[in-house]
Amino acid sequence: MNVQIFQALAEPSRFSIVELLHGKPRSVGEIGEKLHIRQPQVSKHLKVLSDAGLVAVHPDAQKRVYALRPETLKKLDTWLSTYRTLWEERFDMLALAIADNKKIVGRKESL
Amino acid sequence: MTDRKIEEIVVKRVFDAPVTEVWKYWTDAAYVQKWWGPRMFSCPMATLDVRVGGVSVVAMQSPDGQVFYSSWTYITVIPLEKIEYIHNLADKDGKTLDPVSVGMPADFPQGVQSTITFTKVGEDKTEMIVTEYFPVSSMSANAKLGLEQSIEKMAEAFAK
Repeated sequence: MNVQIFQALAEPSRFSIVELLHGKPRSVGEIGEKLHIRQPQVSKHLKVLSDAGLVAVHPDAQKRVYALRPETLKKLDTWLSTYRTLWEERFDMLALAIADNKKIVGRKESL
Repeated sequence: MTDRKIEEIVVKRVFDAPVTEVWKYWTDAAYVQKWWGPRMFSCPMATLDVRVGGVSVVAMQSPDGQVFYSSWTYITVIPLEKIEYIHNLADKDGKTLDPVSVGMPADFPQGVQSTITFTKVGEDKTEMIVTEYFPVSSMSANAKLGLEQSIEKMAEAFAK
């Protein structure tokens, strides 16, 4: 799990490109058209996404077609899940502490 | 250079206690020690300084006795409503350290912002929402874009 993936997704246009490619692989031209981004910008963004392992290119006749690499997003999902689990565990502990506290308070009040 | 944040994860839970009490579990050292840490860990020490610019140092001890320290540097404190802090792995004095030096992987995220909100939901119940933001630096001077997108949602959707 690396910072590069987050940095790649941090830019709104790149985020949109990744969302678009979820539908189907697209050429640079199509991406530019759909997202209203000028081609040089699209190419720059695709390079960043490719370096981060999020997209891969394959030639299709005259065009370069970009597709998502789902294994990278799966890795990201797994990594994020670890942090979510950490918080869920902390919340479990907090709920227990609150419940324990209630018991103590209950006992004191019934004395 | 402008730092932008991306919402990384959002975790919510409703607790059976009023806001005034749940708030104590974040702001009173004795209360923090009752729960902070992963399952099976204990919290042997908590030194709190809950105010904007203040730094709290909180320890967690693993079952095999190893102690890790975290620093929480507060950027927002709205009593009974919201706490925001930047979290770093630190030494016992709260000084940020290299994760590798305590056996963590090199890409262990430092400088993560946690935002905790507290909302009353019905009689003696509090909804607590924690949002973590991963720090990302941008080279663009114009970048004032607030990224509403959630990376977590995207990753989940694409991982299916």
